[in-house]
Amino acid sequence: MPEISYLEAIRQALWQEMKRDERVFLLGEDIGRYGGAFGLTHDMLDEFGPERVRETPISEATIVATAIGASLLGMRPVAEIMFMDFVMLALDQIANQAAKMHFMFGGHTTVPIVIRMPGGSGAGAASQHSQSLESVLMHFPGLKVVNPSTPYDAKGLMLASLRDPNPVCFVEHKVLYKTKGEVPEGDYTIPIGVADIKRPGHDITVVANNIMVMKTLNVAEKLSKDGIEVEVIDPRTLLPLDTETIINSVAHTGRLLVVHEACLTGGWAGEVIACVVGSPAFDYIDSPVRRLGGKDIPIPYNRGLEKFAIPQEADIEQEIRALVEGKI
Amino acid sequence: MPVPFIMPKFDMDQEKATIISWSKKEGDLVKFDETVLTVETEKVAIDVPAPASGILAGILYKDGDVVPVTKVIAYILKEGESIADLPKADSPTLHSKPEAAPVLQTTVAAQAASVNATPVALRMAKEEGVDLSKVLASGDRITREDVQHYIEEQKKPAARATLPATPAARRMSQETGIPLETVAGSGPRGRVQSADVLAKANSVPSSVTAINGREAEVVPLSSIRRTIAERMQKSFQESPHIALTVDVDMTEIENTKNRFNVQVEKFGQPRITITALMIKVVAWALVRNPYINASFNGDSILLWKDVNIGVATAVPQGLVVPVLKRVDQLGVNEINVRLSELAEKARENKLKLENVQGGTFTISNLGMFGIRQFRAVINPPESAILAVGSVVRKPVVVDDQDRVEVRPMLSLTLSADHRVIDGVVAARFLSDLVAGLESPSLLLF
Amino acid sequence: MSKDKGKTKEKDTGTREQFEKRVTRLGLSDDNLIGLYRTMCTVRQFEYMADRLYAGGKVHGTMHLSAGQEAVAAGISLAVHPDDYLINHHRGHGHFIAKGADINLMMAEFLGKDTGYNRGRGGSMHIADFQSNNLGANGIVGGGIPQAVGVGLALQMQKRKEICICIFGDGAANEGVFHEAMNMVALWKLPVLYICENNKYGMSMDVERATAKLPIAQRADAYGIPWACVDGNDVVEVYDAMKIAAEHVRSGKGPYFVETITYRYFGHSKSDRNLYRSKEEIEDWKQNRDPIMRFTKHLLQSEILDEGRAQEIDGQAEQVILKAVEFAEASPEPDLSTLMEFVYA
Repeated sequence: MPEISYLEAIRQALWQEMKRDERVFLLGEDIGRYGGAFGLTHDMLDEFGPERVRETPISEATIVATAIGASLLGMRPVAEIMFMDFVMLALDQIANQAAKMHFMFGGHTTVPIVIRMPGGSGAGAASQHSQSLESVLMHFPGLKVVNPSTPYDAKGLMLASLRDPNPVCFVEHKVLYKTKGEVPEGDYTIPIGVADIKRPGHDITVVANNIMVMKTLNVAEKLSKDGIEVEVIDPRTLLPLDTETIINSVAHTGRLLVVHEACLTGGWAGEVIACVVGSPAFDYIDSPVRRLGGKDIPIPYNRGLEKFAIPQEADIEQEIRALVEGKI
Repeated sequence: MPVPFIMPKFDMDQEKATIISWSKKEGDLVKFDETVLTVETEKVAIDVPAPASGILAGILYKDGDVVPVTKVIAYILKEGESIADLPKADSPTLHSKPEAAPVLQTTVAAQAASVNATPVALRMAKEEGVDLSKVLASGDRITREDVQHYIEEQKKPAARATLPATPAARRMSQETGIPLETVAGSGPRGRVQSADVLAKANSVPSSVTAINGREAEVVPLSSIRRTIAERMQKSFQESPHIALTVDVDMTEIENTKNRFNVQVEKFGQPRITITALMIKVVAWALVRNPYINASFNGDSILLWKDVNIGVATAVPQGLVVPVLKRVDQLGVNEINVRLSELAEKARENKLKLENVQGGTFTISNLGMFGIRQFRAVINPPESAILAVGSVVRKPVVVDDQDRVEVRPMLSLTLSADHRVIDGVVAARFLSDLVAGLESPSLLLF
Repeated sequence: MSKDKGKTKEKDTGTREQFEKRVTRLGLSDDNLIGLYRTMCTVRQFEYMADRLYAGGKVHGTMHLSAGQEAVAAGISLAVHPDDYLINHHRGHGHFIAKGADINLMMAEFLGKDTGYNRGRGGSMHIADFQSNNLGANGIVGGGIPQAVGVGLALQMQKRKEICICIFGDGAANEGVFHEAMNMVALWKLPVLYICENNKYGMSMDVERATAKLPIAQRADAYGIPWACVDGNDVVEVYDAMKIAAEHVRSGKGPYFVETITYRYFGHSKSDRNLYRSKEEIEDWKQNRDPIMRFTKHLLQSEILDEGRAQEIDGQAEQVILKAVEFAEASPEPDLSTLMEFVYA
């Protein structure tokens, strides 16, 4: 199986689906000759032409609204929001419009759009270009929030998103773009709303998303040598959240840690923990349930400050050890 | 002055009770006579009513605690009273003295010399009536801040006194029957983890294996089991048992039963059982033999006026002995009805205290299991117990001509406390019993 | 037609001769004219019935009534094709009725019934009928303006002849997306007809206090979009402007912007106590500039209708509304077990 990058995996999914389905088209800022701010749409303009790789003015709200309007007439638009932070400019269209239309109009229409948005820190992009806003998007019933952590998941989930009848916020991570992994060349989808057990273990369940999956897996590998077996769960989709897999895992391990880059307060870890503690898995919980999140600060510019604004491997390791060894 | 709420004594020989559950919690408004908690005595579960109306406060024992009777378990605050009015838990005499403050001041003055505290702290303790021996020093000496902190801590409502344990440990405790209180928590601040319960559960069998080389499942004692164990051991150790056995021809009493049942069926009443008839005859015999219906009382013997017969009944949890009161005053039909009511209550675990206390004699029947004859252990403070075996049809000599007939025969064994009952007395009772059972018409005289 | 920018037209509808000359120029038949009258009567009957139902406690939520603005809805509907797409905002009852919506289903939705257009999920503010290309009313002021860009884009990509009509109020023109959308729709020459129904108040805010430069339509100049600003209470003038605009849009020349000056009789919504405008002002519009009254006068003058026929048509409109109420009231409520439906497709 060829090894390609996370960025290439998403590009491949878009490319293949645009070949397969004429209704699919891209719109966003600088996605044409420039190839997108991160180069994800490079060469697509030449292949598909300016109509289907449609460059827009800097008008995030109208980019999303345009996608919505076109989807009402049977198109399958993919809107790119250059940095996830800019989603705020389009939030009315995402939350008040796209998310609600199917419901508000009595099920008589659907809004099959995909909104791509790279989030996350680590690129020195400072406070307005580095946020992880997936928790915000989880609060709107009708939306789907997809959040792959590997190239394989990214392609399969993108293909699933492109074929989903609902509005999908496809949350990417800047730092993951260059990570590589095995990705089948052909067509495959990963069902939206199904978590993946990235590593089985029996001492503690760690639920993590995007880059935190990678970090947790590194920590799990290390701890395994000390006899601590960590079960790493990547929800892959945050809305709808696959609570069943998580609950079953916690019932098995008796311990839960949730790790995300998003700010701790109001972060989705709280949601996961509430689901687990309120479930039958409660009776199997054998240590405090904990969460590690980004510090409650805007992401700083300075390299050192930026790094320590979000959980690092050492933090995850320390937390897991404390829980498994009964120190907290 | 808050009203002390004591663990009531329900039974003559009751020493303690286990709190099953508080139905009211700290700070709840309670009404006089309203149920506040449920406790379990050695015999039954009992609802305990509030001694007064007011706010329930200062709960001293939690669910599962075993509390000696008459101990204060909580207080009821009247209007205008607050938690601050509660006596200190470890100075139980305080609440009986109206002027608590001077007592404390004296203590403070007396301790001043011995306690290592700053002068400001000493003065503050005196003013606020704080016992400095209870104040923790943050440094070398107790400071003003320490006293302040102590006072603030005292003002806080009492924390829910529960054992720290993880949900998993609690579940495992339930499943294994190992009380969390008996498990040493290895977690932070003594928190019991599931592994601790598991270790406890595994520890006993592993030591047995080490000693005897055999494996055994460990079943922790339930409250009712523990009671049975204590009482039976006490009975066997304290009262010298003698046992006497007689055989009874049940032909007549069975005929009587059948005749009875023809009658009761006409009135749509439940059928009479042999047990009901036997109880009636036992009661009759007890009236004729008062020393069998008696208790040993140290330097005297109590001959009970009432004939209250307990019927040992097996229930899933163990053994209970519901008591039929004043059986000598009752007709067979009534005995029959009451007996079936009590048996049902016992099965449903709904026996009330009055249903199990006050017994003067006990009948234990294992006949339904095919047991022909056995000896029972006396149920203190009673002095005798009758063990009833199974009715067996067998050939017996029925007259002076050595004529043999097959008759329904029953063995009865009386266990008696020799401190009260001599062999002859026991024998007389048994012969009355045989006479009554073989010739029920004797009861008419 | 108004290329005389910067001036609104609040003229009367002219003499009999002027009216007849204009009608002939526009090629409007008697049937067309009677149709316009019937539409306006139906809208007004619907709105007054809605008000009565609300007063009678039959309506659960609020509503935004368009009585006084009927000429805009009627004029547009005759000027565009039935299968053109429609996106509008709060005050949309009239647009739907003029577009030929099933009044029974509208009324049922209004009463929150399961038989309503939105199966009781949307109510007055969100009526949509995707079968007749009515893409729904938007409750976020201006929320539909940028969506029309997408509809226009799809129509262009799909090389279709339909156009998108997007109607919004004077208040919506001050939302940021208004400008984003104007720019993009002009940039890509999309087939979108934007109509700003200026009824003088954005809720309570007088358009003159909210808008730096009037008319609103002149903003289209900044984006190179042709525009007009017309008397929205003159149904023939509305039709005239819309006809030109729709033909322009349909011919592939890009968007067009029409502002219609009109007036709403009821408050903004049911909680409005009209504290920001005088009774005299409302009465002046009702007595002197009412669109139905003005149009009826012409129809009578030109002997297209007589009094009896005019009343008969109005009576028929009333009957339609009464039947709709009957239908709606007899309809079932949505089953509570369906609460979670339609969140995801």
